[in-house]
Amino acid sequence: MQEKISEIKVKFLKEIEDAGSLKKIDEIFLELFGKNGVITELPKHFKGVSKEELKEVGPLFNKTKQELEEKIRVKRQEVKEESYKEIEKESFDINAKVELPKRSGHLHPLTQFEQQIVELFRSIGFQQFESPEIDDEYNNFEALNIPEGHPARDMWDTLYIEGKGERKEGNLLLRTHTTNFQNRAMKKFKPPIRLVNIGRCFRYENLDARHEHTFDQFDLIYIDKEVSMANLQYLSEYLLKQVFGPEIKVRMRPKYYPFVEPGAGVDGLCLFCKGKGCKVCGGIGWLELAGAGMVHPFVLKMAGLDPYKYSGLAWGFGPARMVMLQNQIEDIRLLMSGDLKFLQKF
Amino acid sequence: MKVSKNWLKELVDLNISDDELVRLLPLRTIGIKEVTPDFIELDMKGYNRADLLSLRGVAFEVVAITQSKLKFEEKDTAEFIWVDKSLNEVGVNVEDEDLAPIYCIAKIEGLKVEPSDNNWVKKLSDSGIRSINNVADVTNLVMVEYGQPLHAFDASAVEGEKIVVRTAKEGEELETLDGKKRKFSNTDLLITDPKKVLGIAGIMGGKNSEVSDSTTTILLEAAIFNPKNLRKTATRLGLNSEASKRFYHGLTKKKLYQALDGAIRMYESLGGKLTGLTIEGDLEEQERKIPLGLPKIHSLVGVNLDKDQVETYLTKLGFKLEKQATQEGKPGWVVTPPYFRLDVDIEEDLIEEVARMYGYENINARPLEGVLPEKIDQKFFQTLYNLKVKLAGLGLTEVQTYPYYSTKVLRSLGFLEEDNLKHLVKIQNPISQETEYLRMDLWPNLLEAADKNLRQNIKDVAVFEMGKVFIVQEGDKPKEEYRLAILISDGTENTVLQILQIFKGLKLDVEIKQEKPQGIGKLLFHPTKAISLSKDGQIIGVIAEIHPRIADNFGVGKRVGILEFVIKL
Repeated sequence: MQEKISEIKVKFLKEIEDAGSLKKIDEIFLELFGKNGVITELPKHFKGVSKEELKEVGPLFNKTKQELEEKIRVKRQEVKEESYKEIEKESFDINAKVELPKRSGHLHPLTQFEQQIVELFRSIGFQQFESPEIDDEYNNFEALNIPEGHPARDMWDTLYIEGKGERKEGNLLLRTHTTNFQNRAMKKFKPPIRLVNIGRCFRYENLDARHEHTFDQFDLIYIDKEVSMANLQYLSEYLLKQVFGPEIKVRMRPKYYPFVEPGAGVDGLCLFCKGKGCKVCGGIGWLELAGAGMVHPFVLKMAGLDPYKYSGLAWGFGPARMVMLQNQIEDIRLLMSGDLKFLQKF
Repeated sequence: MKVSKNWLKELVDLNISDDELVRLLPLRTIGIKEVTPDFIELDMKGYNRADLLSLRGVAFEVVAITQSKLKFEEKDTAEFIWVDKSLNEVGVNVEDEDLAPIYCIAKIEGLKVEPSDNNWVKKLSDSGIRSINNVADVTNLVMVEYGQPLHAFDASAVEGEKIVVRTAKEGEELETLDGKKRKFSNTDLLITDPKKVLGIAGIMGGKNSEVSDSTTTILLEAAIFNPKNLRKTATRLGLNSEASKRFYHGLTKKKLYQALDGAIRMYESLGGKLTGLTIEGDLEEQERKIPLGLPKIHSLVGVNLDKDQVETYLTKLGFKLEKQATQEGKPGWVVTPPYFRLDVDIEEDLIEEVARMYGYENINARPLEGVLPEKIDQKFFQTLYNLKVKLAGLGLTEVQTYPYYSTKVLRSLGFLEEDNLKHLVKIQNPISQETEYLRMDLWPNLLEAADKNLRQNIKDVAVFEMGKVFIVQEGDKPKEEYRLAILISDGTENTVLQILQIFKGLKLDVEIKQEKPQGIGKLLFHPTKAISLSKDGQIIGVIAEIHPRIADNFGVGKRVGILEFVIKL
């Protein structure tokens, strides 16, 4: 048996060495390790071998098998590297004309939805403003009435950027919400202010069908004299009726966010059961669709605005959830999957 | 916070059904996480209502929103069980009063440790807490009812029955009740005796002084610890307990005494006897007086509520009002919140109370008024969107990928060597290895996505992504850049030429430069099929075929053409 193994080894090592193409290597691989391959079949002949002898044969067989596998791997790499040398000879004429294949393109469902939202708000005077994705604790937390050690920081499981030393504005982090634009925007512009900010946010979150660690958020602020919760209700209805149809019912209820007071959660009557209670809404009959509130006087002060003179509202939501509800997408991870079968449906 | 339905009804004579209460709570007070036949779980995540971490607090709230009757009365100072009793002092030494402003120890003798009766076991299990034994259960029952955490030490395990509250010495250790060894740093506040550590203040007790079957005498601790310091310790040890949560939401002296009194009475019902009491420290609890003006309510809520409504709502919630006109001579009040409403500090907080009692759902929509703000330059946003529309028009599908390089991408790019990793922005506390490094280019993630699609037997991958990448800058905050990337892999040999054609079709203000890309990217591209893109004389991007070795690393055996450049106006 040892002899037979040695024979196989010598024969195939040579064959592999001589192989000049990936195709040939694949053939040899099958001949050895395929369903009826030489190596695959060999252990079947161990039956007749004595126990004593098997102590030698077993390890030898394993060693040979590994050697052959390794040889194939190395040879494959060699052949590939050889072919890579060939490409140096390829010419590149940037003026050469090619025919573009006919393809039908698609915008990402989030892009389509977000553009719709931006345009809706543009038509009532809201313009876009942008804030950085890598930000500091000042803008992401402190200016929003969330000091260090505040229990509310538990609402945002934050990812921090490694080692950029002590900074006046606090540690660097990936913004946990697009609300990080508020302080900047209120410092830059004088009231009346009507701005929206839309973009990516990041949280320390384990992935499942309903949770993403990377997701888009939409935030707006409206600062003027005499801004009220009645305006909040208006904006909630304005958006949700456009997105889900005029029959949707919209309600506010108390909710705590440190940067607003009073704070509100915005619910839409469940689109699927119309309020009766179903699996989608967890039996409640309402879906939580947005968060909102009147800008906290501390937040106004931090941006240099006088809370006795001005009031404001803040309003925001996660576009992914609405896109999922609109299109009955069950798994949030599909949005970032790059799966063309999914994306080309939109 | 899990609110036991049965227990709540011991505190409130509820005049509505459970279902009705479940419907009303989110509209008036707080969201609900889960409802079972036994409990209603309030969604406390991030909430600031410390009072709702106690059943008595929930009872006050339920009474206010349902017009039900309260079934209990809070005890007055004169009624506490220790008043007029001659009791021994228990040895207590609090070294730092800032970290433990109030610290009480009651000594209770003559106890017999047994399983709790069914009523207690059920109350605890409704609240999500496991019954241990009658003596330990009292501390948890009182915590749930009053919101004040308590801890019982076996007195025989406390050296000389003397308690020292002090910060840890470097290297000190304790095996906590959960059986884990905890190491301390010198800001952690510990409960100790003259010889050893007994517990971590406000977080968890130690095994060495746990109440056991042979316990007959306990030292019962009721304290208020500095929430910030406690939170730091709890976070570092990864030990967020039911108790620690209540400490950092905030406690009051009044509730502490009520809870201590309640606990001692329960121990006496078990046959125990109070023989010693020490109360260290004090906490001035000033009544807050907050001005509230009717006009401000009208302007912020957007509903013209009348004075009576405001007074009725706030009174129901236990606020005290005194009429006092505003500076402008308009109707107003000075309002004193109930002592347990630590979350109410300013006029806006009061307005929220009024608004929720009125019912947010009753506020009618009012369109935005006033003048429109000045126009600001929106060209950048429009450019981004227009470009996307054009690319889709040219047959490309928009993809969005994660901002991280996965381990597969890192390995395929040959980035796993330390030398290259230093070019990437690193996350200090990544969720996993897959999200540890931020992308510095878009195309590698597009290639990873292309591989997944090609494996799904999609023959023609022609995609683009627009998004931010992150560039390390020596001694400064990382730079964010908006980029566009295109990738084509359709089985033909001319993917780069297709991309060139698409690029030309976009008619951008970006020039092609017959220059090989430099930097760490250059080894990743085809040796001849790679050129640069420039704008205003600056290189801003590349059009290239990916080197087949790199594509192969990703698992792609076909030609791959890419474009990537910085989007600048």
